[in-house]
Amino acid sequence: MNKTQNRPEGGENNIEVWEDLVRIKDLVLSIAICTVITLGAYLLAPNEPPKPLIYGLIGAVVGFIISSIVVKPKRTLRFDEGGEE
Amino acid sequence: MEITLILEMVTASVIGAILYTIIGIAPGTDETAVLAPVTLALVLSGFEPIVILAFFISAIIAKKLTDSIPVAIAGIPGGVMSAPMVEHAMVLKKHGMPEVSIRKMASGSVIGTFIAVPMSLLLANLIIPLSDVITQYSNQIFLGGAIFLALMSKKRWVSLLSIIPFAFLIQGLRIAYWETGIVPEDVTVFTSFFLGITIGPVILKLTELLSGRVRRQLPRFGLKEIVLKKAKTEKGFPNPFKILDRKEIGTTSFSSVLGVLTFFMSPVGMTIFLGETLTSRIKDPVKKATRAISSMDGLTNAAYLSGTLIPLIAIGLPLSPTAIGPAGALFNAPPVFTPENNIHHMLSTSDFIIATVIGAIVAITITFYVTIKYAPQICAFVFRFIPHEAMLGLFFGLVIMLAFMDAGIVNVAGVLLIALVAGFLHRKGVNYGVQFMTLYAAPWLISLFLPGM
Repeated sequence: MNKTQNRPEGGENNIEVWEDLVRIKDLVLSIAICTVITLGAYLLAPNEPPKPLIYGLIGAVVGFIISSIVVKPKRTLRFDEGGEE
Repeated sequence: MEITLILEMVTASVIGAILYTIIGIAPGTDETAVLAPVTLALVLSGFEPIVILAFFISAIIAKKLTDSIPVAIAGIPGGVMSAPMVEHAMVLKKHGMPEVSIRKMASGSVIGTFIAVPMSLLLANLIIPLSDVITQYSNQIFLGGAIFLALMSKKRWVSLLSIIPFAFLIQGLRIAYWETGIVPEDVTVFTSFFLGITIGPVILKLTELLSGRVRRQLPRFGLKEIVLKKAKTEKGFPNPFKILDRKEIGTTSFSSVLGVLTFFMSPVGMTIFLGETLTSRIKDPVKKATRAISSMDGLTNAAYLSGTLIPLIAIGLPLSPTAIGPAGALFNAPPVFTPENNIHHMLSTSDFIIATVIGAIVAITITFYVTIKYAPQICAFVFRFIPHEAMLGLFFGLVIMLAFMDAGIVNVAGVLLIALVAGFLHRKGVNYGVQFMTLYAAPWLISLFLPGM
């Protein structure tokens, strides 16, 4: 699990958290979106188990989808067509 | 058994396999964080216990099959358990063989499953007469496990030293909750502490980001370039016994058997320990790597299945890290399941066999097939559309909600405290295995110092 050493040039705004790259601003935004929606759904649900938990889980998924739309992944993908072997 | 019930089990297994094939690939998804809440929700919604068991078995096999895919393709672990494999998978990636990684890992998983299911059922039946004694000494077993894993790790003295203070932190918080009446005396806050330990390293990192000085010093990166290799498509249904060579099958079977026998130990710790030990003498880096990843994957799968099935069938108490973590809801989900009345008490031996076999067959058929055939395509989708920020956000949100659910707003702070300490310990070399074992041993360990607590 060594940290990757390669530093690409230009536009270096991302840091490494848990084996992948993130931009701090986007990370704060995603955490805020997910936490507010998850906890909000949990608290707003009718107070009879298991409804708060289910609402919360749905909230988590909704938060996740919204963050995925708002934030762009910090990866570029390239396909290596031919085999090298 | 009625046909409708069997159909329900198959449907639940199919849903579990599909759902967790996708979740498994997403980087950083922890088994407990993704499996426990969903299982809990299903239990509380009132599904038949046997259907829930089939779902869970299918889900955990699918998750374990797929969480090594991102490791092979991009060197990003799909879960905590696949982290030890990164090093070996990177060797294969460097040699331009990521699809070899995937095939070997997935085949290792399948062998692990084949060995774990019958062996767990057998071992469980052997243990049943001993279950009273085991239940009686479970605390000592957990403490012994913590000490063993500490001694086995690279930073053994730090790990050993951390056990008692960390147990005090955990139990101290619980005692504080009881004294202040935040939770009733008979409730032990567990799930959220567990998640706190899991998310510890990330929380520590995020907290450090609050300091401007640290932030400016951090290395900055541009975009991460991921090169995906187009793998050749396999024809027909892949055969795991042809994908692995004879030696790999041997080592994988051996480590799977050990994984079943050490069902009460932390699977991550055992994976690291056995994976390294079994392959340390192989010189050729590629052969060493393929042997390591196939046997590690077999081991994790076997350990997870046996860790779920043996305590569930034989004892009825969550006496393994898997049982207490991802499978926790099968043992304790009040008011549906309690330690006195859970799946262990509700299902007969034949029920267990039917549910496990249906779950396992469905998961292997769907997920193994999909994994071998479409791994690069699924990875491309996940890498292109799922930002890492959203994963971290989802995880953070879930932890906060479960912390709140366990013991209100105070526990959100409590879990953050545990996460910070756990993250610090982790950075100093105390691995998850030692920390989890300490978590389980904490109540008894502290009662030795504070009688009556």
